[in-house]
Amino acid sequence: MNFSDYIQKIDRRYIFIILAIAVILPLLFPLGLPTFTTPPVLSLYKHIDEAAGTDDRAVFMDFAQSPSTLPELYPMDLAILRHCFLRDIKVLTISYYPQGAAIMQMAISEVKEDFPDVKQDVDYCNFGFRNFALRVPITLGMGDNIAEAVETNAAGRRLENLPIMEKLKNYDNIQVCMEISGAAPGIIYINYARARYGVDVAIGVTAVSAADNYPYLQTGQLVGLLGGLKGAAEYEELVETFANNDIPYSEKKAQNLSWRNQQYELSKVPYKFKQARIGMDAQAVAHVLIIIFIIIGNIGYFIEKRQDKNKYVK
Amino acid sequence: MMETIGIWVAAFLTLSMFSFLYKDNPFYKFAEHLFVGASMGYFIPYTFFNVFIPYAYNPLFLRHNYWLIIPFVIGLGYWFRFSNNLGWLSRYPIAFSMGIVGMGVPMSIHAQILVQMRTMMLPLTNINLILIFIGTVSILLYFFFSKAHEGIYGKFTSVGIWFMMVGFGASFGYTVMARLSLLIGRLQFLLGDWLGLIK
Repeated sequence: MNFSDYIQKIDRRYIFIILAIAVILPLLFPLGLPTFTTPPVLSLYKHIDEAAGTDDRAVFMDFAQSPSTLPELYPMDLAILRHCFLRDIKVLTISYYPQGAAIMQMAISEVKEDFPDVKQDVDYCNFGFRNFALRVPITLGMGDNIAEAVETNAAGRRLENLPIMEKLKNYDNIQVCMEISGAAPGIIYINYARARYGVDVAIGVTAVSAADNYPYLQTGQLVGLLGGLKGAAEYEELVETFANNDIPYSEKKAQNLSWRNQQYELSKVPYKFKQARIGMDAQAVAHVLIIIFIIIGNIGYFIEKRQDKNKYVK
Repeated sequence: MMETIGIWVAAFLTLSMFSFLYKDNPFYKFAEHLFVGASMGYFIPYTFFNVFIPYAYNPLFLRHNYWLIIPFVIGLGYWFRFSNNLGWLSRYPIAFSMGIVGMGVPMSIHAQILVQMRTMMLPLTNINLILIFIGTVSILLYFFFSKAHEGIYGKFTSVGIWFMMVGFGASFGYTVMARLSLLIGRLQFLLGDWLGLIK
């Protein structure tokens, strides 16, 4: 058996083992590769940051998630909630998926551990689970009156009695409708909330769906997009560098790698707030490995093709 | 204690799923069937307590909103799908649901078609807009089958194929990233939560 035959017939289980090693090593020994932000993520960060310190603007988050999307979407949940809590931005959360509601509660609890001063129903409000069939009526109803459309929070308390809702009446008070979703992200909000009320919409999606949503960025129907683990890592980085140090975003500073490195020490950041960045280390190594596999596979293919051609010529 | 047990169970099931990479085996089958059963088992009571009780039972029997009987009766029509003779009754709730879908058509046309078209009609002031324009026109013409793809027209439509290939490549690249992210997520769980090797 020559090289090309060997390459074409290699047992795929060897590839699985090599890939597993390539992913495990960077997780155990993080490489600390720099994370550069892309315009869709930066745009969302800046847009949310504009609501810092206001009590009549809130970020509305819809958790359309399930456990199968946790690795990609959960770091986004944590990063955005952390950004809002750090910068004193009001947050409203809802989920139309039973499992999404549990994930939403878990994310809020996990971020809140680091923010003892952040109070439920004052600084944030968890609307809890709502039946999926109510999604369109609630989305439309929020344009007129959020408290009437949603009625109660997760604990069953009437929204009109909650302090956070005093100055949050309708979409005029929503800085951005953010859907973090593993399904058809943002469509409901683009079709109903954006088209009818003009509210700004953004999405966080699994990488599989990311490419499909770029047309909405192009048209301005989305103000931002977090695509997969990479998007989450970028947002984590922005929050760590700027929001956590209470520094307004500056493009000049963001491009200065040495300045960014001085802003925090990755080893001292709690794991929950850096899991996407560490995951991207593993991604980078795995991507290089896959590219090498593709090149080797193609070399084998072309050698075999040439051998076949020579065989027929003879 | 319960959390530790949960982590061990999750680790066992994760490894059982991974064992399929070697070959099909009883551990994989067990985990697969458990997953399907647990998903349904989770969904049914959750729906009962979070949908039926607050939106059906409580308003009707506790708050006596009797007008809700009308949508309930319409909704019950779905159950006639199981009857050969009365199956036609299920068309009424389906028709009602289709009416709701129709409500979204004007907004969908606005958001999905008109706004997208408007962006296509911007002055070609930068390279991105020029590329988008060429890509859109060439792809649309590629799917216009009433004219043979020959000569200059054929060459232009083949440009559309290139644009589509770039799009498919981007989607595939993102898909690879997504699948690797799932692997990374599971390995982060195994190495961190289970083995405690990641802090």
